[in-house]
Amino acid sequence: MKKQVLPALIGIVVALLAGLLILWAQGYPPLESYAALFSYSLFSKFAFFSTLDKATPLILTGLSAAVGFGSNCVNLGQPGQFLIGAMAVTAFGIAVDLPAGLMIPLSILVALVAGACWSGIAAGLRRRFKMDEFITTLMLNFIADYFTLYLISGPMLDKRMYSPLTPMTNPGAWLPIWNGFGSAFLVAVAAFAVVSVLWNRSKIGYEWRAMGQNPIFSRTGGCRNDAAYVWAMLLSGALAGLAGGLMIMGGMQHRFVKGIGANYAWDGVMIAIVANNNMIATGLYALFFSVIQTGSMGMELETSVPSEFSLVLQAIVVLFVVASRESTRVLINNITAELRMRRARGRDKGMGDGRHASNG
Amino acid sequence: MQDQFIKMDSITKIYPPDTLALDKVDLEIQEGEIHSIIGENGAGKSTLMKVFYGMAPPSGGEIHFRGRKAKFATPREAVASGIGMVHQEFMLIPSYTVYENVILGAEPAGRFGTLRHADTKPKVEELVDTYGLNIDINSRIGDISVGAQQKVEILKLLYRDVDVLIMDEPTAALTPQEAGELFARLRGLNKVGKTIIFISHKLDEVLELSDRITVMRKGRRVVTVDNRGLDKAELARAMVGRDVVFSIEKAPASLGEIVFEARGLRYVDENGVIRLEGVSFDVRRGEIVGIAGVEGNGQYELVQLVTGLLSAQSGRVFIGGHDVTGEDVMARRKLMCYVPQDRKVSGSAQNMSLVDNAIMTHHRLNPEIEDRCEALLSSGRCRAFTSRLVEDFGVLVPELDAPISSLSGGNQQKVVVGREFMLDTDFILLDQPTRGLDVGSIEYVQEEVVRRRDAGAGCLLISADLDELFSLSDRILVMSRGRVVAELRPEATTREEIGEYMLGAKDAQEDWRAREEVGK
Ligand SMILES: Nc1ncnc2c1ncn2[C@@H]1O[C@H](COP(=O)(O)OP(=O)(O)OP(=O)(O)O)[C@@H](O)[C@H]1O
Ligand SMILES: [Mg+2]
Repeated sequence: MKKQVLPALIGIVVALLAGLLILWAQGYPPLESYAALFSYSLFSKFAFFSTLDKATPLILTGLSAAVGFGSNCVNLGQPGQFLIGAMAVTAFGIAVDLPAGLMIPLSILVALVAGACWSGIAAGLRRRFKMDEFITTLMLNFIADYFTLYLISGPMLDKRMYSPLTPMTNPGAWLPIWNGFGSAFLVAVAAFAVVSVLWNRSKIGYEWRAMGQNPIFSRTGGCRNDAAYVWAMLLSGALAGLAGGLMIMGGMQHRFVKGIGANYAWDGVMIAIVANNNMIATGLYALFFSVIQTGSMGMELETSVPSEFSLVLQAIVVLFVVASRESTRVLINNITAELRMRRARGRDKGMGDGRHASNG
Repeated sequence: MQDQFIKMDSITKIYPPDTLALDKVDLEIQEGEIHSIIGENGAGKSTLMKVFYGMAPPSGGEIHFRGRKAKFATPREAVASGIGMVHQEFMLIPSYTVYENVILGAEPAGRFGTLRHADTKPKVEELVDTYGLNIDINSRIGDISVGAQQKVEILKLLYRDVDVLIMDEPTAALTPQEAGELFARLRGLNKVGKTIIFISHKLDEVLELSDRITVMRKGRRVVTVDNRGLDKAELARAMVGRDVVFSIEKAPASLGEIVFEARGLRYVDENGVIRLEGVSFDVRRGEIVGIAGVEGNGQYELVQLVTGLLSAQSGRVFIGGHDVTGEDVMARRKLMCYVPQDRKVSGSAQNMSLVDNAIMTHHRLNPEIEDRCEALLSSGRCRAFTSRLVEDFGVLVPELDAPISSLSGGNQQKVVVGREFMLDTDFILLDQPTRGLDVGSIEYVQEEVVRRRDAGAGCLLISADLDELFSLSDRILVMSRGRVVAELRPEATTREEIGEYMLGAKDAQEDWRAREEVGK
């Protein structure tokens, strides 16, 4: 635990320092810009809640990618699964009208199932035809993209509007917003808790991790790799689908608009890679990325640093953390070893000539 | 003292965070000698050599080579100074040819960076001739035996013109014949002036080959002695600090019912090569059945068919009276434990922690490590389980959360063996169970196998080590070309006889070649 969190923290700090230099070199006031970055993402109730809103999809897509990569399934279909999840919830919310107490859990279920179906196609193709999920999930992204585009500009188009988007879902499917706090975040937190327990403590989670590290070992040990593979793919898809579904259920829009997926899915992939598929690190990085993404708007307002600067910061974090994961660990270890060396020398002095080797 | 060839002075190595692997080791090696290093698992033999070879930086101490202070930052620098090492796990590229592997990293580049084979190919061929290595340099690594691969590793070093050859457990994966060849080769190299550092757990080999022997224990050098009039027991005592029994005592087998049966197994691989044909035998409770054979004669496929990792084209497998032919691995693992041949690939996940490696298979079968909820594992209980394994099997570990890769080779093997024995099943399948273990641990594992046998378990043992087969087995089956060609009793046969069966010079059941002709 400690070993993983420390390099992560160092990575974040170094990235922020590097960002400081870049800002300074570009002639922006670095400290004020950072002050704006954080005050518009953390230091007011409204800012903090919008950061949590932003974090909601990132946590889920991050978990989705971490589950996939961590069990050796290269699911790169998060964008498609996200869109399909969002579309399914939209269609369900338009077609069905029930009280919120039923509508919300059902919509969540629909999002999960829709996402799982989409990744399930790739899993099925792999099981049946040995097609690599790396390719099929990517290709399915295109299908999902154009399919949803077709739906929102044709069969599901809201005729009263002049751009491709669907009508609103029935209000029963809307997640409440309390005082500016979007309750979608709670759903993401619940998903995080469930997935963490599943991943770190359950039997199937153990098999996923073992399969991710060495599939021959897990197979020899009797794990049913084929089944574990399918379940990991389904869970990974379900989480991305849920991320999409919450975009419809939370917030204010409650309809599927063109471009709703933004970059959430790829950000999730990136987060999982930076977090090295560790669940807690995934959650932390998702929060951190949403802090910079949210705050960068404020930074633009206050010190006119272009909000794209958040991309620069993200890139530095990724490059630094991934590139230095090993070396930071080694560095920390070496420091520990050096300390121990010193202690050993101290001990030896105390003992005088406590030598052992003799020649025969 | 002044002009030592190799002189290591007070070498200390601490693996982070705080494993003291070498504790002020002094070692001198003279030019042109064969110097063996022996010691328990985890004594620091490999580490000492890695430090010398530039693979691991020392935490303290100095190395002098040819009278000059040497500090190799990388193996490449060591090689440039004339020092080469063959690791226990070979580092060859399977899809490249022997020649390509040899020149890899030292390619003769012409103008525009193109390869110039005209000069080097004859040079490599000449080396093969001079040292009598007897390999075809155009064959692919993936197609040649382990013994031949090792020749390639040696050839690689000769090509780089090294004067010092370090060999870390070179014989662990070799058949006795191949090991014999290797010794002849090493002696030949020694005669032309190469210095050889040899690490092994097989004391007979060490006594046969070396000029001087260094014994290490717990990160320290215990003693260095000339190999004159030494005996095995003495060496073993110096190594483990107590007397070691080399051939274990066991009562005659008292046979119970059949616990394992193979009936007419036939397996043809995807290239259409017949790997197993008509293999039938059984194992009873209370006996140890050994399988002898030159590697690649169907033992590997047999093991895979028994564990369920492969399925046979025809024939049936029974374990504990159940027909498990169509069952998957986990269903069979309820009835059997299995120590696989290669701990790195099938026996462990090197990056996972010791605990995660120890609970494999138990995670589904052993309620002891379950949480209150059946689908969850209790991390506390998993740790307790692992501590018990570590204690019972004397595994030397830094901490339970460390990745298993930070254990010495032999200690990793103990984890695998311990994990499987703790499944506590009536049928035990052991594939080279003592590979890489020190004499003390071999004794422990072998005694444990006999204890299980006496408690009524049936054991199938595949081993390349004839000594092990002779001392453990109640019956020995010999495999050759995918068939069981003989069934012998250890007390009524000799190594020579088994060797003849293994090489196919003798066939007790029927003449294989004749059948093959008929088959065509
Ligand atoms: N990469 C590593 N990280 C941490 N500790 C290590 C590492 N490699 C070895 N060790 C520790 O250093 C000690 C010496 O290991 P080493 O591999 O040198 O033993 P060895 O004498 O070669 O044993 P074996 O006969 O089992 O191969 C062991 O306690 C081992 O756990
Ligand atoms: Mg070793």
